[in-house]
Amino acid sequence: MTIAALSRASTMIRVRDLQKTYYVHEKAPGLWGSIRSLVARKRIAKQAVQGVNLDVEEGEILGLVGPNGAGKTTLVKMLAGIIHPSGGDAQVLGHTPWERHNDFRRQIALIMGQKAQLWWDLPAADGFLLLKEIYRVPDERYAKNLAYLAEVLDVTKHLNVQVRRLSLGERMKMELIAALLHEPRVVFLDEPTIGLDLTAQRAIRDFLLAYREEHRPAMILTSHYMEDIERLCKRIVIIDGGEFIYDGPLERVAKTYATQKVITAHLRANVGTPIDLTAFERFGELLPAEENEVKLRVARDAVAEAAAALLAGLPVADLSIDEEDIGTIIERIFRERRVESS
Amino acid sequence: MSPRLFLQVASVEMRKRMSYRVDFWINAFVGFAAELTVAWFLWTALYAESGKSVIGGYDFDTMLVYYVFVIVFSRLVRGTEFEANVSQDIYEGGLNRYLVFPASYFGLKYAQHIGGLFPTIVQTGAFVAFWLIATGGAGGESITPTGVLMCAASLILANLLYYAMSFPLHVTAFWADNVWSLLVTLRFASNLLGGRMFPLVLFPLFLRNANEWLPFRTLFALPVEALLGRISFDAWLQGMAVGLVWLVVLAQVGRAVWRRGNLQYSGIGI
Ligand SMILES: Nc1ncnc2c1ncn2[C@@H]1O[C@H](COP(=O)(O)OP(=O)(O)OP(=O)(O)O)[C@@H](O)[C@H]1O
Ligand SMILES: [Mg+2]
Repeated sequence: MTIAALSRASTMIRVRDLQKTYYVHEKAPGLWGSIRSLVARKRIAKQAVQGVNLDVEEGEILGLVGPNGAGKTTLVKMLAGIIHPSGGDAQVLGHTPWERHNDFRRQIALIMGQKAQLWWDLPAADGFLLLKEIYRVPDERYAKNLAYLAEVLDVTKHLNVQVRRLSLGERMKMELIAALLHEPRVVFLDEPTIGLDLTAQRAIRDFLLAYREEHRPAMILTSHYMEDIERLCKRIVIIDGGEFIYDGPLERVAKTYATQKVITAHLRANVGTPIDLTAFERFGELLPAEENEVKLRVARDAVAEAAAALLAGLPVADLSIDEEDIGTIIERIFRERRVESS
Repeated sequence: MSPRLFLQVASVEMRKRMSYRVDFWINAFVGFAAELTVAWFLWTALYAESGKSVIGGYDFDTMLVYYVFVIVFSRLVRGTEFEANVSQDIYEGGLNRYLVFPASYFGLKYAQHIGGLFPTIVQTGAFVAFWLIATGGAGGESITPTGVLMCAASLILANLLYYAMSFPLHVTAFWADNVWSLLVTLRFASNLLGGRMFPLVLFPLFLRNANEWLPFRTLFALPVEALLGRISFDAWLQGMAVGLVWLVVLAQVGRAVWRRGNLQYSGIGI
């Protein structure tokens, strides 16, 4: 095999100019609105995804980031084959998802934090048995996978409890097991950690990393928790209003978009008298800080000057210069776009 | 879809329904008793009023037996049509999960439908036992083993046929906000034309002739008439053939509507 063929073989998700427009009928509220809508319904178009391009390789976890209504779930729905696009193309494992070939569906999984997929009335164990049949998982592999997944996610003792009686975190773990029993090669995770406490979030993140090491699936993850993205994804795609904004390494987001840095000066312990900081305000914004600490956010090109001023004017013991955190940067990108478009 | 999967899905649904509380069973019995009582009063009056001992070829006892069986059979044929159904899946977003599964949605739903029949089968046994004990099987003297077999075959076709009739209606949930009214219309039409309200011999001749070519007769009248030996083998066979043709046609309609609906499905609820 040539190198080109090799690299092609490992691209599991390929999306080209994918678009989705929803049409909804608008109806005025109230009885009168209902009556009027019988005669004339106004159809409005909503462009949820406008020309997205991306590739995901084997073993890669792609972070899909965007504010509410950005089109993340819509993109995932198309790639999982639930809905048809309005234009463009996508190939997942060499299949067109919305044709829904069984061969395709046997190799993917979709996990949605917002919406339970397991059967509410059944104990998780019974639901898993159904999935075993649906995905035709051989007995031995099923037993092995279930034991492993339940053990790692620490839910073995809840397996025989009706799903509706589980806590949100326990249920999410069951959903993960349900989605992974058949060892999918492509996994879509739509806000898998939503509403979970920090311990459960961490457990799920660690689990996903371990799972990736072992099975090397291609994954697309959406989340509003930056920690998920930072821990799991080396690469992210940012979309907003259905439009593609950024595709590249996570760390480059900061380099590309961060216009400011944060300088933290740790002062020598026994400074005593309150210090006047107003002199530094001309460099940038003073941020709330710990005792004996000064935090200053400054434009990139003013970093050197501001640091020098701090060193000269204060009893500094130690000084660090950091990028803004990634969540703040991304938030600002969205905010600025709002301002531009209005 | 593999038979194993079908059985598994059906058996899960069966266990779910069997675990329902007592009121589910009480409702079933009360419903049965109420319907039968109404029929009893109505026909007592009608026989008395007309002064006849035989109406449309039925004497009073046989008429009641007709109702016993048409009531229980209609439950077997329809199943619990408003539960775990397709339109609900479409409205509430349950469909999304099924669309990701490497299995036919229709197959999975029909398996659930069949599994959900199980309590009804148990009820049918109970009602028939009740009839045998309470009346010593009065009115059922003409039942033969061949009749029972013909009836069983009829019921299988009728169940498939009713599902095939309601499936396209459920699928209109992709466009319509409320499929309920369509389902109620189907229910009424099939009650009337299927012989669920009264035996079809009571219709005027031209209606009976037209009805021969409609799918409704196959649903309720055919199994009961076959059981009670009130239909010749040839006539039964013809009824089955008509039902079978409708089944094939409706299955194609269902498939086409499903395809169209899917093209513009927007994956609501997620
Ligand atoms: N089934 C639907 N019918 C009509 N419009 C829809 C439908 N689903 C989503 N939309 C619209 O499409 C846009 C994108 O929605 P989508 O669910 O993809 O956003 P998202 O990025 O997942 O947001 P969130 O972070 O809130 O989950 C939104 O404006 C939404 O109102
Ligand atoms: Mg979403």
